[in-house]
Amino acid sequence: MKKMLTLLLSAGLMATATQAISSPKQDLDHFRTYFEQRFPGIQLNNFGNGPYALDASKRLQWESMEEFPPYEEYVDKGRDIWETPFKNGKSFASCFGKDASKVRPKYPHWDKASGKVVTLEGDINKCLKDNGEKPFGWKKGKIAHLGAFLGYEARGAKTNVVIPNDPKALQAYEEGKQFFYAKRGQLNMACADCHVYYAGQRVRGNVLSAALGHTTHFPVYRAKWAKKGKGDGLGTLHRRYGGCNKQVRARPFKAQGKEYRNLEFFHTYMSNGLEINAPGYRE
Amino acid sequence: MKKLITAFGLALLIAGCNATTPEKPAGKQAQYEAALKNAQVAVDKAASVGGEWRDIRWKKSKKKYLPSAIEAAKAGDYDKALKLLKIVQFQAEAGYKQAMAQKNAGPRF
Repeated sequence: MKKMLTLLLSAGLMATATQAISSPKQDLDHFRTYFEQRFPGIQLNNFGNGPYALDASKRLQWESMEEFPPYEEYVDKGRDIWETPFKNGKSFASCFGKDASKVRPKYPHWDKASGKVVTLEGDINKCLKDNGEKPFGWKKGKIAHLGAFLGYEARGAKTNVVIPNDPKALQAYEEGKQFFYAKRGQLNMACADCHVYYAGQRVRGNVLSAALGHTTHFPVYRAKWAKKGKGDGLGTLHRRYGGCNKQVRARPFKAQGKEYRNLEFFHTYMSNGLEINAPGYRE
Repeated sequence: MKKLITAFGLALLIAGCNATTPEKPAGKQAQYEAALKNAQVAVDKAASVGGEWRDIRWKKSKKKYLPSAIEAAKAGDYDKALKLLKIVQFQAEAGYKQAMAQKNAGPRF
């Protein structure tokens, strides 16, 4: 009887453990199903349009903005950066390959050698350093211009983040996932509170976007970021992460630090299969 | 009886004076130094688990309670400094507890 009880208890514990640790694929399926059920009738790719997929009147405003998109000039600036040779005669193409449309879909990815998640911005600055150039700032300016160009060139390509079956990669993914669902800051709110559980609802005049499709349109041009003293409007994903953390009154982490790189790994994986539509316009 | 009343009155007066005498600055300073030490330990503990809140000391925060407390103390306003350190202590402890409680956070669907 004692043996039987021990066996049953072990089986129960094992079942609980299996439920608690789900694979990235299972996470993706649950995540996708949740949004499909929450917003029936919205095409998968449409989630990449953020709040404009969820609110008809906001969508009309956005469509009129897209007629003369304010990010266009920065895509051109990004193209200039891409084409301008470094002092040593090489260019970004020597780091990323000649075809600019193939660059963006490779990121973020797991780098086994360094045991880290590698982001597009991280490799842009690595390329600059390797060629004796001064690296760009992480959140706005030239890094966002080049990101906008590479995103624009990759429009239509599908997000395809691979989580390799490597314990370190899985740990990075799990850390990103934990970050996404963990409440933080004085307001005690998680990324998921706004962008999963309350997606589609309003915060004052803004509609909360769904986390599904979040990463497809970065870098993004935000009207808020185009105000005096804030930059030219364009910013990277990590700039936005910092802004979100600040809004819930948590101390933001450093752009391109481990926390945000792992978050990007999880966050982008959740949008696998969605088309890249960067750069996007947001309020 | 008259003597007794006078003595009682005097005793009351002395006791009253003692009660209303403000604490010496040296006492407040020691209190501040101890509170600062405790607060710094609590903030570092919260930061070590990624649980630091925005307004404790982040350079872009408009409040920056901890640096403001240090500034107030430098200006000799220990009451203000102690008041701010109380907020720092609370926020740091709450941030740590929150981070620990969210250690295994995951989806609720």
